[in-house]
Amino acid sequence: MHIAVLAKVVPDYLVPSMDFELSNNRAHERFSRMLGLYDENAIETAIQIKEKTSGSLTLISYGSENDIQFLRKGAAMGADQLILVKGTSDDAAVIAGNLMAALQSIDNVDLVLAGQQSADMDRGVVPGILAQMLGVPFIPQIGDVDHENGSWTVTQITAQGKRELEFSGPGVLSITSIPENVPRIPAVRAIFAAKKKPVIKLESTDQKKMALNELEVAIPKIECVCEFIDVEDPGQAVRILLNRLNEERYL
Amino acid sequence: MKTLIIENIDLKKIGELKTVSRYFCELPDIIALGEGDIPGNYGKAWQSSQTLPPNLVPSIVQLAKLENYEVILLSVSTLGTGLAGPLSAALSAPVVTEVTAIHSDMVIERPIYGGKAIIKQKIESTPVVLTIRRKYFEPEVLEGHTSSIPLNTESEKVQLISEKNEQTDGVPLEDAPVVVSGGRGIGNADNFSLLQTLADQLNGAVGASRGAVDEGWASPTRQIGQTGKIVAPSVYFAVGVSGASQHLAGIANSKCVVAINKDEEANIFNRARFGLVCDYQKIIPQLTQAIKENR
Ligand SMILES: Cc1cc2nc3c(=O)[nH]c(=O)nc-3n(C[C@H](O)[C@H](O)[C@H](O)COP(=O)(O)OP(=O)(O)OC[C@H]3O[C@@H](n4cnc5c(N)ncnc54)[C@H](O)[C@@H]3O)c2cc1C
Repeated sequence: MHIAVLAKVVPDYLVPSMDFELSNNRAHERFSRMLGLYDENAIETAIQIKEKTSGSLTLISYGSENDIQFLRKGAAMGADQLILVKGTSDDAAVIAGNLMAALQSIDNVDLVLAGQQSADMDRGVVPGILAQMLGVPFIPQIGDVDHENGSWTVTQITAQGKRELEFSGPGVLSITSIPENVPRIPAVRAIFAAKKKPVIKLESTDQKKMALNELEVAIPKIECVCEFIDVEDPGQAVRILLNRLNEERYL
Repeated sequence: MKTLIIENIDLKKIGELKTVSRYFCELPDIIALGEGDIPGNYGKAWQSSQTLPPNLVPSIVQLAKLENYEVILLSVSTLGTGLAGPLSAALSAPVVTEVTAIHSDMVIERPIYGGKAIIKQKIESTPVVLTIRRKYFEPEVLEGHTSSIPLNTESEKVQLISEKNEQTDGVPLEDAPVVVSGGRGIGNADNFSLLQTLADQLNGAVGASRGAVDEGWASPTRQIGQTGKIVAPSVYFAVGVSGASQHLAGIANSKCVVAINKDEEANIFNRARFGLVCDYQKIIPQLTQAIKENR
């Protein structure tokens, strides 16, 4: 069983809005970089499948060589090798095309997992484009993944609950977080071992960009003044709060 | 512009997409999924009981090419997200997801970096595939019904084994006038019942942050935010929620945010109208009691 996980290194997604800054219409380079949040859930899910099936796991990313140090966290968690396609485009079709080239450079991938959304462009669209390019099904918002009798059974988290779906052959899934796929914290030994795992670097291939012209990126103004209510006497505090909510007709 | 809506039979979701379609055309066509009558008026209407995107893609692509649709409208939902990427690739169409505003000349806006920035893009060619973020466009009231032509879906790449919808007592989270949301600060699953009691007093619903959902204290159907539900209540209580931008993305249209957090530096206070810096356990039971007494 060979699983591939698509992961993206992104600027720190927990920087609060107030501190957020742009340079050249993208997050300022001063922000530290890290693996995308849901990508880590995807890696965790893949490791669990790998452990159950004695399979192997390849982590694939499109980005800069500088990202390799952050991708190594995935290797420390349990990925066997990394493939980096060197490129700088933010275009979803270009990224998908390059990820496909990386997938085609390795043999027999049985399943491709990605995070539900990257934590920078927040699009959630690359895995779906890739699936169509590969001619395999794409299913988003997946929690559990199981492999039995040659087919995949997956649990999709929907707005109302969940559903269990089945398909055979390869497919592309985007993974959401569930308590069972909270990413493991790699042990120190694993972190050192990860440094020795193979990293394959590929040049990007020419891909057609989407017909979208970026006009502007702006930081929305947040104008909110918080009225702090003294909580020394909680009984008094809740009375003041309720009065204020009623006065301003919110309740 | 020739516009196609693809949506499950759901008054609000179709209503929102119908509103959006006005930016592009007078009367859109629709592919309605699921059982029942198709609400509202359309040029042409197709219907299928198939609701799984991988099984729908080939027929939609065929139809979109045949009818020369220029704009395909989807919601940000399991269905919309499942269709957007594959349709974009199959139709060589640009795709823009999570659209929150539309301007003239095919210029659209969407948030990036968890809502910390907004990108404006001009669509340079059609067909284009758009997914529309919920609650950003007032749903059109759909009157009457349109009769439909069946949409043939031959491929069964993916099989539905079972589907379980959660029972929700009381008001649905998306429509609740008051939402009481708990985050990782709530500490355990049992304490979520304190929030439920408060919500019940206010005819509201309980929400959760991703932090609380990951801990297993609240069901994923309760998650509020960029990758959860979008809500727009009159009052939103954020209890033990730090206020990450991705969480705030789900409450952008809430009228009044009340933040209860023991860390005065928590980002939630930057979005809150009223703030209480304390352990929530000191306040929530008192608040519930005071509301009860005021009745
Ligand atoms: C692409 C992407 C999408 C995401 N989508 C979402 C989304 O849809 N929804 C979402 O919520 N998050 C989302 N996130 C995650 C988000 O970035 C945060 O990690 C998450 O919102 C944190 O949850 P939290 O506030 O409960 O936890 P924490 O950040 O851990 O905050 C807990 C808070 O509780 C307070 N606290 C602790 N104890 C008490 C107490 N006794 N009384 C009062 N306060 C207390 C603390 O001071 C702290 O502020 C997304 C992230 C990414 C990258």
